[in-house]
Amino acid sequence: MKQKNKNIYRIVIVITILVTIFSGCRQTDNTSGDNKGETILHGTISISGAFALYPLTVRWAEEFQKLHSEVRIDISAGGAGKGMADALSGMVDLGMFSREVSREEYHRGAWCIAVAKDAVLPTINSDNPFIIMIKKSGISRNQLVSVFIENNVDTWEECMGKAGNTPFHIYTRSDACGAAEMFGKYLGGNQEKLSGTGVYGDPGMADAIKKDVYGIGYNNVIYVYDMKSRRKYDCMEVFPIDLNDNGMIDDDEDFYLTLDDVMNAIKENKYPSPPARDLYFVSKGKPGNKVVIAFLKWILTDGQNYVGEAGYVQLTGSKIDTELQKLE
Amino acid sequence: MVFCLALVVVLPFIIGVGLYIKSTLLFESCSVPELLFSGKWMPREGNFGFLTFIVSSLWVTVLAVLISAPVCLLTAIFLTQYAKRYYLTVMHPVVDILAGIPSVIYGVWGILVIVPFISNDVAPLFGVQTSGYNILSGAVVLSVMIIPFILNILIEVFRSIPIELTEASLALGASKWVTIKRVLVKKAIPGILSATGLGVSRAFGETIAVLMVVGNVVNIPKGIFDAGYPLPALIANNYGELLSIPKYDAALMFAALILFAVVLIFNLLSRITIARFEKSTL
Repeated sequence: MKQKNKNIYRIVIVITILVTIFSGCRQTDNTSGDNKGETILHGTISISGAFALYPLTVRWAEEFQKLHSEVRIDISAGGAGKGMADALSGMVDLGMFSREVSREEYHRGAWCIAVAKDAVLPTINSDNPFIIMIKKSGISRNQLVSVFIENNVDTWEECMGKAGNTPFHIYTRSDACGAAEMFGKYLGGNQEKLSGTGVYGDPGMADAIKKDVYGIGYNNVIYVYDMKSRRKYDCMEVFPIDLNDNGMIDDDEDFYLTLDDVMNAIKENKYPSPPARDLYFVSKGKPGNKVVIAFLKWILTDGQNYVGEAGYVQLTGSKIDTELQKLE
Repeated sequence: MVFCLALVVVLPFIIGVGLYIKSTLLFESCSVPELLFSGKWMPREGNFGFLTFIVSSLWVTVLAVLISAPVCLLTAIFLTQYAKRYYLTVMHPVVDILAGIPSVIYGVWGILVIVPFISNDVAPLFGVQTSGYNILSGAVVLSVMIIPFILNILIEVFRSIPIELTEASLALGASKWVTIKRVLVKKAIPGILSATGLGVSRAFGETIAVLMVVGNVVNIPKGIFDAGYPLPALIANNYGELLSIPKYDAALMFAALILFAVVLIFNLLSRITIARFEKSTL
């Protein structure tokens, strides 16, 4: 009798624990927010994807959660590709996306909405032996093509048009991401066609460049410049693009000193698009969750106030109107 | 209890079958030999040749085992034959810690320590220029990660050899080292092989630490200072493109199936050898 009772108690305890765990799970999965009136929102939004959009999304989430304390927003990075894969498979509500949506992705039901703009910059180490010459003459699009796509450049001297043997280390992104895709697109190809040692993630790429004086790669603006000081991070330098291909950086091509200079150049379309690009949130079909729609609406209205501060470029007024239409 | 056992036993089969089913989409357009032996990897154009990744995986794994197996063998011999008892008691927690360190920590250590070391100190010795992100870095990091597995098994193997063999050999006048070399190691060879086999299967599947240091360049590596792109790194890096390129998901599932098959085979062979070895020494 005693043993039987003990067993019954054990089974009851196990079942209770399991029920508690699983009911807990159901609560966090409850993304269908109850909308009791305009301002009381309640639920969870899960977001994953592009490193490019990550810092801005974190900022937006902070501000949105201040206004709606019952909403929880979970954000993780992992590259634009991961954002799309997670969104299309239903694992997250929104994917952060830093390139154009492809036909195959639309075929699978992708829905996207633009929220901000930024750019990919070619990056080098600030202690590069040729830094002075680099800043003066810059690099043209054709030269970038022979570095990254044709893999024709083996030494820094070759890159600068001299003789010598300084090692030349090219880096690219190993994870499926928007930065590589847009940078590749600018050079007439795509991520697959970019050569170089594959490093994981934008922070990983920035790290590799910071540690390698002979390195050349590319990064999102927000990983080159410090949001607070508005200046470049230690050891990071931008390889200025010689847009008119005249062999030197003219005054109107020289906009890389501070974050705000670069942002203005992107806004005024002085910096080419691509690699400047719109940043999107993607999901499988238009989001049905009221909390998600509310978040997106807020991003396109009040949220745009935080864009400049966070180091990104706001969308133009007409673009915002078009995007807001998508939410109706 | 029986249900739990059945569940655990059936699980690998379910995984294997699932992977196979998901890869069948790929077989419609490419034959298996073409997939395994073609070096052309251009998913956007529908070319899925896995040779680069298979060769890279082999390079990294074999090199890692070549580095760690002798080290583990000599350590195991020292700990079981020469060292005082308490060395072994101290070693157990050390080995457990090594086994317990998360993979990504090994990756970060690899980036901070191994990559610059190989780029600045080792490569110049051989007259080679490298950024440090290559097969050798991957192999070094991997060899440290598989030490706990190989070492634990080797210690057990040596401890399970009957003491009578050692005594008989010493009684006949052989020195300690000759006894170890000619008698113990010879007796332990099946055990050593199976420990190595387990190390290989562990190394083959190690993902994060390796992908952080191995270079991730889609080129068949021709030497240890070339960058490589092992199979697990392929899956981890390109998970994001899964739904963005047609048949890519089937291709990655096929890569996973190859990994699964290789690891399964090595594990089974090693376990069978260990079991036979233990039976013969009873």
